Amino acid sequence: MSLIETLPQKLGSSVSWIEKGGVLWLDPGPLSIRELCAEMNAAKARFITITTYQLPATEGFRLEYHWDFEGQLLGFPFKLEGNSIESIYEMCEAVDWIEREIHEEYAIEFTGREYEPLLLRAGDTPGVNLREEVKK
Amino acid sequence: MSYKIPMGPYHPALEEPYKLDLICEGETVCDAKLHIGFNFRGIEHLAETRNYIQVTALMERVCGICSNIHTLTLCQAMEQLAGQSPTPRAKYIRVIMAELERLHSHVLWAGIASKLMGFKTMFMTCFEIREKVMDVLAAISGNRVNYSMNRIGGVNRDIEDPQSILAMINQLESEMMHAVIPIFTTSSTARSRCAGVGVLTEEKAISCGVVGPTARASGLPQDLRRATPYAAYSELEFNVPVEPAGDVRARLMVRALEIIESIRILRQAIEKLPPGEINTGDDKVKFVTGTATSRVEAPRGELMYSVSWKEGSRNPSRVHVRTPTYVNMPAVRWMVKGARLADTPLIQASVDPCYSCTDR
Repeated sequence: MSLIETLPQKLGSSVSWIEKGGVLWLDPGPLSIRELCAEMNAAKARFITITTYQLPATEGFRLEYHWDFEGQLLGFPFKLEGNSIESIYEMCEAVDWIEREIHEEYAIEFTGREYEPLLLRAGDTPGVNLREEVKK
Repeated sequence: MSYKIPMGPYHPALEEPYKLDLICEGETVCDAKLHIGFNFRGIEHLAETRNYIQVTALMERVCGICSNIHTLTLCQAMEQLAGQSPTPRAKYIRVIMAELERLHSHVLWAGIASKLMGFKTMFMTCFEIREKVMDVLAAISGNRVNYSMNRIGGVNRDIEDPQSILAMINQLESEMMHAVIPIFTTSSTARSRCAGVGVLTEEKAISCGVVGPTARASGLPQDLRRATPYAAYSELEFNVPVEPAGDVRARLMVRALEIIESIRILRQAIEKLPPGEINTGDDKVKFVTGTATSRVEAPRGELMYSVSWKEGSRNPSRVHVRTPTYVNMPAVRWMVKGARLADTPLIQASVDPCYSCTDR
């Protein structure tokens, strides 16, 4: 059985994939991002990117993780209550630059990893939410 | 004793500003660190202040070489949210533009690679060939860089003289088959500079998630035109060249073979170009609330756009762009490890990096 069949089973019978906007979405439910990444690695899915959304007011952020599995684009939304989430860099090398970019653009902390010097912009202060800076 | 050699951000071997910090022992590179962001423009954020017409013009400016593929990807994503589909003729015109763009991008890369090999004559030859492709692109669109071809529901301009494209691709094929490819594959200069240099193993290519010709030159047969066909690719026949060696020569060979496949696709697309409208003519576009994603095979590899819109809103609420260089470039660190210092300019160029795309 492929990942498409096995992953919803692991998450419980009520969970199923939803195809929307060119992506096969699945609510990861209780799975942490590291547990999900382990599943993706085991299935030899290819990491693509993380898309960040800043939610209104104090609702925090939503991160959408994308993998490619046999040509199908998979999407997994993770809502952040605060501004931190576990890093998967140690498990998935391809995530390095996008985690650093999100850290530098939105001040989201990817825990369990070290950051190299700023990737995208000048200065010496990592973790500044540029969107909030623009509003000022 | 190891020492650090900074290469860039402004350096004769680099086409755009970025920086490689090379840690060397003698003439051998032991490690490298990459720095980008010297021209970071915040285009994703700027896109949230543009309507659907303006955002198309804006995203065309993410890249100066593959500008057309950015608007194609963006329009495909916006079409999902607007409930529109391109007309059959528009799908073929999109393929023709995408393949012409791939041709000029690959030939431009071959020229730059020649220059870095110290093969100046080949540089001039490649740029002369590229100029012919640019002339065709300008004849179709009226522009040489930003073609303004794509729109929601189709394209803005028709191809009125498909035969002129055929004449160009016949000439291009002849020059590629009789000059560029034989020289690149048989010349001792090219072989000595490329074979066994800057190897990215298949295992490391998977780990880094590289895409496009860089992945295919490390034995990974991934191509979105084949895996998830868009525009009219499902109706066209072509091969996906794959080379297992993972070195600079393999990346060169993959692009050379892709030029031949692009020519093959162009011939079929011109022959099958259906009559009819070039767009839906619907100027009042209404978006539904949601997020749509589109992926295409750009000249450098997979390009992805995620576009979010709220119904009734004038502007998108989010546009996220994942460009191919963004995932290919970190792999350069592994390619240059153990390489000779003198080979690093060619090795980094072999992924065909685009920092305009990366510093979007």
